[in-house]
Amino acid sequence: MTETAVATSQTSSEVIGKPELPANGKADLLIVMSNLWKTYDMGAEKVHALHGVSFEVKRGDYLAITGPSGSGKSTLMNLIGCLDTPSQGEYWLNGKNVAEMDDDDLARIRNQEVGFVFQTFNLLARATALHNVELPLIYGGVPGAKRKEMAREALSAVDLTDRMMHRPNELSGGQRQRVAIARALVNHPSILLADEPTGALDTATSYDIMNLFERLHDDGNTIILVTHEHDIAARAHRIISIRDGLIEKDERIR
Amino acid sequence: MSPRGETRTEGPGDAFGRSISLPGRIRSLPALRLAALWEAFLVAAGSLRQNKLRTGLTLIGIIVGVTAVIAVVTIIKGLDQTVASTFSSQGSTVFTISKRPQVITSREDFIKFNKRKDVIREDAEAVFRACTACWRTGIAANSFEIAKHGDQKFEGVRLRAIMPAAMFDIDGVAIDIGRLWTESESAAARDICVVGPDIVTNLFPDLPLDRAIGQDIWTGGHKYTIIGVLQPLGKIFGASRDNVIYIPYANFEKNFGAHNSLVVFVQTETAPQLEQAEDQARAIMRSRRGKTFRDEDDGFALETQDVFLNLYTSATSNIYIVTIGVSAISLVVGGIVVMNIMLVSVTERTKEIGIRKAVGARRKDILTQFLIEAVTVTAIGGVLGVLSGFGVAWLIALLIGFPLLFSVWSAVLGVSMSSIVGVVSGLWPAWRAAKLDPIEALRSE
Repeated sequence: MTETAVATSQTSSEVIGKPELPANGKADLLIVMSNLWKTYDMGAEKVHALHGVSFEVKRGDYLAITGPSGSGKSTLMNLIGCLDTPSQGEYWLNGKNVAEMDDDDLARIRNQEVGFVFQTFNLLARATALHNVELPLIYGGVPGAKRKEMAREALSAVDLTDRMMHRPNELSGGQRQRVAIARALVNHPSILLADEPTGALDTATSYDIMNLFERLHDDGNTIILVTHEHDIAARAHRIISIRDGLIEKDERIR
Repeated sequence: MSPRGETRTEGPGDAFGRSISLPGRIRSLPALRLAALWEAFLVAAGSLRQNKLRTGLTLIGIIVGVTAVIAVVTIIKGLDQTVASTFSSQGSTVFTISKRPQVITSREDFIKFNKRKDVIREDAEAVFRACTACWRTGIAANSFEIAKHGDQKFEGVRLRAIMPAAMFDIDGVAIDIGRLWTESESAAARDICVVGPDIVTNLFPDLPLDRAIGQDIWTGGHKYTIIGVLQPLGKIFGASRDNVIYIPYANFEKNFGAHNSLVVFVQTETAPQLEQAEDQARAIMRSRRGKTFRDEDDGFALETQDVFLNLYTSATSNIYIVTIGVSAISLVVGGIVVMNIMLVSVTERTKEIGIRKAVGARRKDILTQFLIEAVTVTAIGGVLGVLSGFGVAWLIALLIGFPLLFSVWSAVLGVSMSSIVGVVSGLWPAWRAAKLDPIEALRSE
């Protein structure tokens, strides 16, 4: 996969047709956000969910974003995950400016660059674990046999080799979350974006999942955790605290 | 999970200004479409299976609509075929010369045609002698009579006097039992007849057909001996075509006097000669009527059997359009049912749509998924509707009595119409699903 991707990488950026950040020595920067604003129009008044957030994330970093509810944490996560676009500012993800992309380009970026892990797992209830993991590959246009192979590989990476044909309701909470993590990883995205990944799990299972994240980080994945739990955030290497739509604190702890 | 690591360690120059991990981009488009379409179909099938009652109700809506359209179209085609085969039994090699055309549309015309000279035996003979493209010529006269045998009475019988015996052929009738008359019998004006099977079954209810030969019947005040029974022609619109008595024309002249106007039948050997024969016969007849090129009116009617078909077509085509239109309304109702159910389905599956969008489904992927769901259910409804439509048409055909034509064309029409209904009624719900905001959709329960 790597060879083919490199061979065609020259043309692939033209497909998106957006300007690119020049290679200026910041080659290891995966995310560059500068002066990001998000404003919601609530009828008469405008609500600023984010006012001027800037930060950078290196490849291979393990970052936690924390903050109380209403701090703009979720808005920021939606922007990082390309589920939404900023009202103002620039967001460069893996060399592409996603701030001005349209819906379909964003969908493609989500498919190729972002792996989501949600608090409530968000698996398709009627589909098997294998099919759930295959889903991003289906929309990425990966042919059937290759797709199955990649999905199996991702499931075995989260130790679910023997649960591939089970539906979510036949799996425990921890197993469901691991299916979701396999789905997030199957397309080899640039970032793994987890929104309160342990919020619906008991302590022991949470511990397992956090260990899994650690392992994935050791394997070279860039991980961004969004959480309000301090002990979960403390597992990361860097913590960004958000309050009232601004970065309150950005500290490296490891 | 280590492939990620390989991709990342490609050197500093690769990280920005290049997109490296985009396998989807390098796949061929058809493969992408096919996988997404198949996924869409599986999802559609699953959702239809899941909601059996809802699927069933939708199916009924579509089936009723398609059944109505298919039944109507099939019945109409059957009737058309019946009419066409009836009027073309003489084939496309026959034309007639008569005083009045077979179809008269106004009182003025009727008066005008009545002032024309009668068509007589000599006209037929003149055409027969001079027309080189003509093959066989015959004359016929009709009158409606009552046929009797003993106490048995049969009304509304068509007494048809013909000459020569080749007129049987031109009329498209053939002998079943007994024999046709000979030329000498015909010339001698013998009191003999060849009858349609209805005459025998009505006048001799207890007698098998073959015992009818040699029996005497009375018609128009004269007694005739049956020498032959014709093969049945069947019914058209419930009216029998087998209640006919053929007698030699010479006998008709002897018993009933000279008929005021005849119909001359002309047949060519092959269909392409028909036009030339018509031209020649027209010229011969016009000169016999003393018409010059200045006269617009021929003074006679020269027609092929097409006139009946044309009349039938023009009289019924509007009725057909209205009938098909009315039955199509039920299909529209079916479409509304589908739209309603698709809207419910979209609302129920908002979360699922959000998940799909989060992992990279584009608008058109979602749009296709719901369209396929709509089209799948309507296409299945279409197939079942075609089958039940044929069934209904078959029942009605059985009751009325006409041949049935199950055409592939109408089956294709039924399925494609219902699929179009699926697309049209699925489009709006699918569009609503496609443009859902992924954040909102993920948040819904």
